[in-house]
Amino acid sequence: MLLAGINFPPISDVLNWRSIVFGGTPFALNKVGLITLAATVITLVLFFFAGRQAKLVPSGVQNFVESMVDFIHNSIVVDVMGPEGVPWAPYLTGLFFFIFFCNIFEVIPFIQMPATARMSVPAPLALIVWITFIAVGVKSQGVGHYFKNAIVPPGVPGPLLLLLVPLEILSNFIVRPFALAVRLFGNLLAGHLLLLTFAVISEAMFVKSVGLVVLPLPFAMLTALTGYEIFVSALQAFIFTILSALYIAEAMKAAH
Amino acid sequence: MSTLIFAAAAASSSGSSNPILPATGEIIWSILSFGILLVLLGKWAYPPVRKMMADRADKIRGDLDAADMAKAEAQRTLEEYKEQLAQARRDATHILDEARQTAEALRADLLAKAEEDAANVRVRNEEALRIERQRVIAELRSEVGSLALELAEKIIDAEVDRAASQALIDSFISEIGS
Repeated sequence: MLLAGINFPPISDVLNWRSIVFGGTPFALNKVGLITLAATVITLVLFFFAGRQAKLVPSGVQNFVESMVDFIHNSIVVDVMGPEGVPWAPYLTGLFFFIFFCNIFEVIPFIQMPATARMSVPAPLALIVWITFIAVGVKSQGVGHYFKNAIVPPGVPGPLLLLLVPLEILSNFIVRPFALAVRLFGNLLAGHLLLLTFAVISEAMFVKSVGLVVLPLPFAMLTALTGYEIFVSALQAFIFTILSALYIAEAMKAAH
Repeated sequence: MSTLIFAAAAASSSGSSNPILPATGEIIWSILSFGILLVLLGKWAYPPVRKMMADRADKIRGDLDAADMAKAEAQRTLEEYKEQLAQARRDATHILDEARQTAEALRADLLAKAEEDAANVRVRNEEALRIERQRVIAELRSEVGSLALELAEKIIDAEVDRAASQALIDSFISEIGS
């Protein structure tokens, strides 16, 4: 009875957005494209203000940006890559901020759409990271050494290599970018649909007076999930960034 | 949730674009956005923030070093002052002891000198007294002799030769003096 009152929108309505400009061309700009542009602009504006204030004791925007930069620099770059990874700090900082702001639009009122819930965002990012770590490996170890180190585990007897080499190729060059993209995409898509589900149920309860008794339950769940999704947004950005750092660091040094 | 699955199934079966598959426009804009972000962040936005943080860390490290040096300097100065104070105390005690000894020696000298002077004065006085007494005794002897002679003259009413009776007078005075 109650479920009949719930009008769940078709899933394509909450994921596939109509283009706003350049419709029909490959440059069709829709809500997801706008969110990625917004993530870029917000990050640059934050850094602009943080760099312009330059106070000895940071506060506000400067404090936020500096603590994030410090966190990425110490907990991701230096911890995972060591001192030789420091030149990669801007790249990884950009990656973290971009993913975080693409994610956080999931809970921003009236936008409520994580750009990373569309495969169009995590997949290119994972591809960029994939190209980056292969390029770094080739540049620092040479083509032959890099691919040999990456796919031939040392100290393994010959016959076993027949089994391990395909596995290493699969693991290092196919599963890594795939897992990077799918992890981010899946988490954010699930979060988006969860929030949507509880929002739709809360709305239905509110509209149908019969549901008023149990209205607080889905609404409380919606509130709790909103908080949880903020956490997930930061966590997934962190995971994507730290794994990228790990892959690049591995490519920089001779494996094993 | 079942509604959601039904909705998803309905969406995919109705022939609309698959919600999982990426759209070309979105891919292009996301690569473009991320590319712009990386270039501008790396060239222009990240270095000032990082430099400022490094400068601040250097400044704090420098300030801490300077504070440590200042503290060590202050400690050294304090030790010097303490040493100087202790030395001054030792000097003062020494000077005081010397002064006390000098004063004691001076007092003893003065006392001895005063005692000597007093003894001299006493001796001189006694000498003077003795001379005076002898003089007085001699005068008295002469006076008494004269008086006795006069008295005798008056008594016997006779003129007696002074020179002749001198022996008598002397024996008389000796009797009186004894």
